[in-house]
Amino acid sequence: MNSWWLHPALFFFVGALILPVFKGKAKKFVLLLIPALSIADVALMTQGVYGSYPFLNLTVTFGRVDKLSLVFAWVFTIMAFLGALYALHVKEDGHHIAGSFYVGSSLGAIFAGDYVTLFLFWEIMAFSSVFLVWYRKEQRSIEAGYRYLLVHVFGGLLFLMGMMLYYFKTGTMTFNTILPANAGVAEYLILAGFSLNAAVIPLHAWLPDAYPEATVEGAVFMCAFTTKTAVYVLARGFPGFEILAILGTAMTVYGVFYAVIENDMRRVLAYHIISQVGYMVAGVGIGTEMAINGACAHAFAHILYKALLFMGAGSVLYMVGTAKLSKLGGLYKYMPLTMVFYVVGAISISGFPLFSGFVSKSMIVASAHHEGRLWLMLLMNLAGIGTFLSVGLKVTYFAFFGKESEVRPKDPPKNMLWAMGLTSALCFIIGVCPRLLYALLPFPVDYQPYNLHHLSEMLQILSFTGLVFFLLVAKLAPEDKMNLDMDIFYRGGAWLFMKIDEKVISVLDSLWGELYRTAGLASLFANARLANGFDKGVIDGVVDGSATTVRGIGGVVRKLQTGRMQAYIGLALVMFFLILWLLLGRMGG
Amino acid sequence: MIVYYIDLLRKNMKGLVRVLIFYLIALVIFDISLSRHEAHYFIDKFYAFWTVFGIVGCFLLIKIAKGIAHEFLSQNEDFYE
Repeated sequence: MNSWWLHPALFFFVGALILPVFKGKAKKFVLLLIPALSIADVALMTQGVYGSYPFLNLTVTFGRVDKLSLVFAWVFTIMAFLGALYALHVKEDGHHIAGSFYVGSSLGAIFAGDYVTLFLFWEIMAFSSVFLVWYRKEQRSIEAGYRYLLVHVFGGLLFLMGMMLYYFKTGTMTFNTILPANAGVAEYLILAGFSLNAAVIPLHAWLPDAYPEATVEGAVFMCAFTTKTAVYVLARGFPGFEILAILGTAMTVYGVFYAVIENDMRRVLAYHIISQVGYMVAGVGIGTEMAINGACAHAFAHILYKALLFMGAGSVLYMVGTAKLSKLGGLYKYMPLTMVFYVVGAISISGFPLFSGFVSKSMIVASAHHEGRLWLMLLMNLAGIGTFLSVGLKVTYFAFFGKESEVRPKDPPKNMLWAMGLTSALCFIIGVCPRLLYALLPFPVDYQPYNLHHLSEMLQILSFTGLVFFLLVAKLAPEDKMNLDMDIFYRGGAWLFMKIDEKVISVLDSLWGELYRTAGLASLFANARLANGFDKGVIDGVVDGSATTVRGIGGVVRKLQTGRMQAYIGLALVMFFLILWLLLGRMGG
Repeated sequence: MIVYYIDLLRKNMKGLVRVLIFYLIALVIFDISLSRHEAHYFIDKFYAFWTVFGIVGCFLLIKIAKGIAHEFLSQNEDFYE
């Protein structure tokens, strides 16, 4: 340790433990104080390596502070504050504790300097965030939570395997940049583990499965931390991996594709996370300084506006009781403030000038163009169309405008409105003063988003998307359906297993039972006949005592007829050997 | 207040649509008027490239997404239960 350093995760871990002591207003104060202190802590941090300890024959490092980890620390702590404000009304301590552990472990992961520390926090993240799903306390959420946990345990195991192989290969656990040329099985296993958390297709299905089933407040936390921690570790470990550039771009289109057809507001947003994280993953894959900068800037901006959108959709769910677009409509009259904040989030994510998406997403798109990756650039812009179409126009139109529904809700409680208002303000400030954000990025920025060509490009894409939307709006009417996705391979697996059980195994089982019964009863009857014949023979014969004995045994057998198949079989066998012994004994005698 | 203005706009839908059409035309003219020499990338040299891209892209996205959804992706909500 070269100077004094306090890990910001400590505030959250200690805070989570002492939280149940407080009541009423004091508790709310503590809930806001924890993230506020952590923001101050990040602001006071200087770059360097802190908290290194020997552990077994390794060195574990808790505090690698550089520009890359700092930019994520900034947005994580700010988001923790906004999320806590939004969740201030939640009564259950357990919900706040799970949230605190989740945020704390995310911070632990981004400051980790080695794989062991990273793995520790990686697992705490999965096991604490699942409670944010379970606290919804509905059957669907409980099931979705278990699936979420199982998938993340699987991802963690991929990471663990890769980590072990990496140690055998290199003899070190230090987490540093890996060159694509040096990557073998170990590195690709680690990459797969990271990719699962970043919802890289085809390992993405856990995200739109679990997030829409989480609590209103929990989803706001979840949409910010898991995928963006994964973006951080990808940016740290795997810049310039071609596969990430391709899969990332595929994600951008894949996510909006589902967002266009989904019905549940929060599921539209969840699919849209895949699309947005796709830009960041593609930025990491392109791997130039401008692209990595873009990935970090986009992660920063995205955390804020996606949380804002989840807050808006969550407010609708909280006040109306459903977030299904097919059951909503005309809400602007009843929830005007929620509508305004949601729209700010929607135009930020779509990349309207003066809002944050305009200054962050374009860095990645421009870097793709810079490198001559024309197809990547065009597909990312296609995803940009889908973004505005699904999150911007479709959800806004069918929830807040469109046909009037029967619901008459009000705007949500004050703390939720304040959280949305503050987040909206941040989206606007970043859009107007991009220098504030660019100053935090890992590399020096030589990019000016406000040039006439970029302005003209974005306005044309967005405006004409709007035109086509209003021409085809009837085609986009939400439907009460669910859409199949990759999770069919594990959810459908259970379904398939049940079918096999129903159709094949139960038939085999009844066949076996039939066989058992027939064979068992037949042997029982045969034994009975044998015993009967023997009995008669003995009565007619010389030894009376034997006859009495056999009769006695027969009586015992009758009493032992319990009606259970295995007992019959067992008894039949015992009797068979007994009779055999008696017969042989007689012959011998 | 917000509700009042939105209702005002909804009452004057025709006027609003006219303003928006005028805005779209102005946007295309603005793009054509931009200097092509300073263009960073070669796509910037095409006139109104992103207008065409926006219209075609959005149309295809809706058609293909909804088409595939109706073909086999959409299932009843209790599919897994």
